[in-house]
Amino acid sequence: MAGALAVALIWLVSSTEVGASNAFEREVAPVLLSRCVECHHAGEPSGGLDLTTREGLLAGGESGTVVEPGDAEGSYLLARVVDGEMPPPEQGKPRPLGASEADRLRRWIEAGASWPEGRTLDRFERTTDSRAGRDWWSLRPIERPEVPEARRADRVRTPVDAFILAKLDERGWEPSPRADRRTLIRRVTVDLTGLPPTFDQVQAFLDDDRPDAYERLVEGLLASPHYGERWGRHWLDVARYAETSGYERDQLRPNAWKYRDWVIDAFNDDLPFDRFVLEQLAGDELPDRSGRSVIATGFLRLGTWNDEPNDPDEYVYERLEDLVHASSTAFLGMTVKCARCHDHKFDPIRQEDYYRVAAAFWAGFVTPGPRELLGGPTPEALGYEDVLGWTDRARTPPPFFLLRKGDPTRPGPEVGAGPPSMVEVLDRPFREPPEGAETSHRRLQLARWMVDPANPLTARVWANRIWQHHFGEGIVRSPDNFGYTGEPPTHPELLDWLAAELIEGGWSTKRLHRLILHSRTYQQASAPRGREAYREEDPSNLLWWRSDRRRLDAESLRDALLSAGGRLDRHRLGGPSFAPSIPDEALEGLSMKGGAYQASPEAERRRRSVYILAKRGLLHPLMTTFDFMDTTLPCGQRDVTLVPPQALALLNNEFVHEQSTAAAGEILAVDDGDEGRIRRAWRRILARDPGDSEFELARSHLRRQRDRLDGPGAELRAMASLCHVLMNTNEFLYVD
Amino acid sequence: MGAGFSGLALTSMLAGDGFFSRHLGAAERPASSGSPLAPRPPHFSPRARSVIFLMMNGGPSQVDTFDHKPALERYAGQPLPADKTYINSGGRKVGFLTPAFRPFRPGGQSGLMVSDYFPMVREHADELAVIRSCHTDSHAHGSALVAMNTGKTIIGRPSLGSWAVYGLGTENQDLPGYVVMLDRRGGPISGQPNWSSGFMSAAYSGTLFRPSGDPILDLRGPDHLDRKSQRDQLDLLAALNQGHLDARPGGAELAARIDSYELAYRMQAAAPEAVDLSGESPRTLREYGVGVEPTDEFGRNCLIARRLVERGVRFVQLYSGGGHLEDTWDAHAGIESNHGRHAAEVDRPIAALLTDLKRRGLLDETLVVWGGEFGRMPFSEGRGEPGRNHNPYGFSMWLAGGGVRGGMSYGETDEFGFEAVEDRVHLHDLHATILHLLGLDHELLTYFHQGRDESLTDVFGRVVTDILA
Repeated sequence: MAGALAVALIWLVSSTEVGASNAFEREVAPVLLSRCVECHHAGEPSGGLDLTTREGLLAGGESGTVVEPGDAEGSYLLARVVDGEMPPPEQGKPRPLGASEADRLRRWIEAGASWPEGRTLDRFERTTDSRAGRDWWSLRPIERPEVPEARRADRVRTPVDAFILAKLDERGWEPSPRADRRTLIRRVTVDLTGLPPTFDQVQAFLDDDRPDAYERLVEGLLASPHYGERWGRHWLDVARYAETSGYERDQLRPNAWKYRDWVIDAFNDDLPFDRFVLEQLAGDELPDRSGRSVIATGFLRLGTWNDEPNDPDEYVYERLEDLVHASSTAFLGMTVKCARCHDHKFDPIRQEDYYRVAAAFWAGFVTPGPRELLGGPTPEALGYEDVLGWTDRARTPPPFFLLRKGDPTRPGPEVGAGPPSMVEVLDRPFREPPEGAETSHRRLQLARWMVDPANPLTARVWANRIWQHHFGEGIVRSPDNFGYTGEPPTHPELLDWLAAELIEGGWSTKRLHRLILHSRTYQQASAPRGREAYREEDPSNLLWWRSDRRRLDAESLRDALLSAGGRLDRHRLGGPSFAPSIPDEALEGLSMKGGAYQASPEAERRRRSVYILAKRGLLHPLMTTFDFMDTTLPCGQRDVTLVPPQALALLNNEFVHEQSTAAAGEILAVDDGDEGRIRRAWRRILARDPGDSEFELARSHLRRQRDRLDGPGAELRAMASLCHVLMNTNEFLYVD
Repeated sequence: MGAGFSGLALTSMLAGDGFFSRHLGAAERPASSGSPLAPRPPHFSPRARSVIFLMMNGGPSQVDTFDHKPALERYAGQPLPADKTYINSGGRKVGFLTPAFRPFRPGGQSGLMVSDYFPMVREHADELAVIRSCHTDSHAHGSALVAMNTGKTIIGRPSLGSWAVYGLGTENQDLPGYVVMLDRRGGPISGQPNWSSGFMSAAYSGTLFRPSGDPILDLRGPDHLDRKSQRDQLDLLAALNQGHLDARPGGAELAARIDSYELAYRMQAAAPEAVDLSGESPRTLREYGVGVEPTDEFGRNCLIARRLVERGVRFVQLYSGGGHLEDTWDAHAGIESNHGRHAAEVDRPIAALLTDLKRRGLLDETLVVWGGEFGRMPFSEGRGEPGRNHNPYGFSMWLAGGGVRGGMSYGETDEFGFEAVEDRVHLHDLHATILHLLGLDHELLTYFHQGRDESLTDVFGRVVTDILA
């Protein structure tokens, strides 16, 4: 009541122009923006009524005049609102204006319905309860937050901890104790390299009593070439990496693997992330362009490509969607593609924004061309042979039009290339290319817009992806969607602090790794004793009060199996992919039979899984069983399922048996009795010694299996059986 | 994925500062320990419990099978009128209007017209609802197959079967919920994306099933490891895993994974049993044409399909035709040579499937769908070239069983059988109708992906209510 009175007073005292304008902004605009202009905006205003300008308001709609200034009760607009007819119900649910909202409109009309000169309401300008505006959290500038003061400084190893502790302190919660060393080395080694540590590595770490033993371990892993293989693979998921086109012919794209190697090298060299973005989107347009930077533009060639679409001219728009979607998802974490047919329903992305970005790719070889070129430029246009890259058709491509409702038969106004308008301070059209440029420089400008320090999305999204791969979940748990329908950050200040560190640290990814890995938060135990109340209240660990146990992903699992079998070739880095052996049963899915699929020689197949040929028409069954990505769309986070076919694969798959048999062969090569052999099996596969009861179980298993498998090779088969069981354990598959 | 919304999450939503409630999305994601294929209630009372989709890969000709066009006799030898525009797929030779290569005859009480390519299916005319006004979005096999299976011509979307098991789970956890059986001659063009779960979890993708021995991958280890040896392994594994779990309080996913080994162990027995036809009567085998050419392969697959739905499998898709060109229904060279061969392979098995399902009381709850990725042109590919080119503009499919009115046709093509003109049924409408019969509302069955509630039919699709019983 007091509030209503205060509001009324504001109206009474607002006699000046400025006062009225302020009151309009404070009282009226929010109601119109959040409740009316979603439908009543210029363009195709509902009922012919445009409530975004004074002129629109006064002009009224199909039902005639809607406001009588000074006479609220005689105004049609208010009558409809008071009757609860406006806004109309949505999906059967009424959503009338609240009494205070209606009152504000009443008082405003009563006072003359003044509208500040030249003011146009933009329904994307602010967040409402049904959509994000340009003030949405992820679009606000990154402001480096103060690091909170921790109550107990001894618990803070890096500022990361201070942010996490601040929230735990609010609840009086304790972080989990530090994990033991054995757990830590396995966690950080798998995390950074995708490979399990060997027994000797574990032992060396346990024996290292220097105070900075852990930090040294982290440095060693970051310097390992396997780091790039692991973290490069994370990026390949986002880049929808595969080496064939899909569809009928599923053509191999020669040299796609060079892009994969470029990504791996970029991580190993800690290529600054801004440069990483620039090269992938516009490596052909950079002033210091090189063969390598042109390889990076392979990012734009990785999508599926149908050489026989229903209508080749319409298919251009599917290709453009792939390019807009891949780049906006990968770098911006925004679902720009949702604006292809209409303004985005939830985020401040206008339909025109979609076409502005699409116009940047329109300049490229997206129109129908000869089949041999697989949808890309000629080597002459690209300037390089044997590179799968991207470049523009011309400096000035043909005009490009918005499509009404996304329908290629209904072109709308011409659209020039530009950034999406959601980052207000950077909303300006692209310039013409410089003198002498052979390409349109649209992609270069798009990329520069992305990495402009004033663009808050790129750094936030990348910092979040880094966090996510260290912890299993991001601070924003929808890594590809920072919009209204995504998840809010659990720790917004921490995310901004990390993003600010990223930019100020020269976009160094490894620097961010260190800040995170050195933290206490990262080093927590995953299964602390007690804390039932935490588990109940926060089962998904939104407060990061523990570390989360994680299953090995498909590649790490296969690599770990090969490694336990003693057969992993971890030394051959890069180069063309190898074709894994695929069971005949799975080959039946190919429409081309007979010699259509040829597995690589055995030695090749011992290489790490990141080098497996990703063929869209036939993904490796062992990989897909363990949730390998789909490859047609960017994938920032893989599913982690638990289904019986996974157990079947680890129990029966020939590849797994090859590894257990190989392991058994090497174990039996030294005769140190059952005890010695069992110990070596445990060390090789689980990187530790067995406990007493485990010894007993293993001994009796060997005995029983020898009896059952009586005959030639019984010894080997019994040991293989034991190794096989160890490779099936939860301990082997999970990282604490 | 609202299924994971637990009472626990609700408690915390109501408590405190609302921090946890702001992150409900995370809590709603399926817990890694929950089975993604557990049975789930439909949106409304279903008419069918399972689907058997008989995919005539390559595109059968409607005017030679289920869309009787006597007018073609009159127009024989003339070109299609010039105002009928179309994409000439593959730039092939354009010939002249050509009547059906085999005569049509009425079947059953209803007198539904079916050609002599399907004399035995014709005897089931009173079970069939033939939709003669189907149309689709592509004239090319690769994208049209993907469209018939996933709703869109671009690869990467979940297939119909994935939507079915995502929506309903499956009733027998010892068998896959969504089974695909290919033709021995090869897979369909575009391969795996035809039964992929796209952006959904891989748990919803189709499982390839072979008609004998070990029907699915990794069902058996090396020969020397018999079931007893494997039991020993599983017992040791359980003991080691238990010790590991005891040291890790709250390890729900660890416990669930221990259980999954027992499930897998059961699957090893259940899957071969499903394809073991030794318990079927000689009469049944004869009816399906098992053991006789040219029906053995498809007959076996149809019989297995019945066994699968009997055992609670949700969605079964059988391919007739595999690989390319004449090994599929892609009758460029000649309708009689091509359809004569393929129809002879499937006519008896399909008729037997309908008979058998009915006899066992399963037809009421099993929806059988028949059709290809598109149809064929009413004109030939030239003089003395008795083949027909691809036609996405009008073609026939039929549905039978589970909630479908039999003995009827729905929709019309023009007098040439060239394009659907009356009561047109787009593949989205067909998909909406199939989901409807399963008790699923195609507008409500959504999967949230990258900012959007995705659905099989996108913003399209209408249930073809006229064919519902």
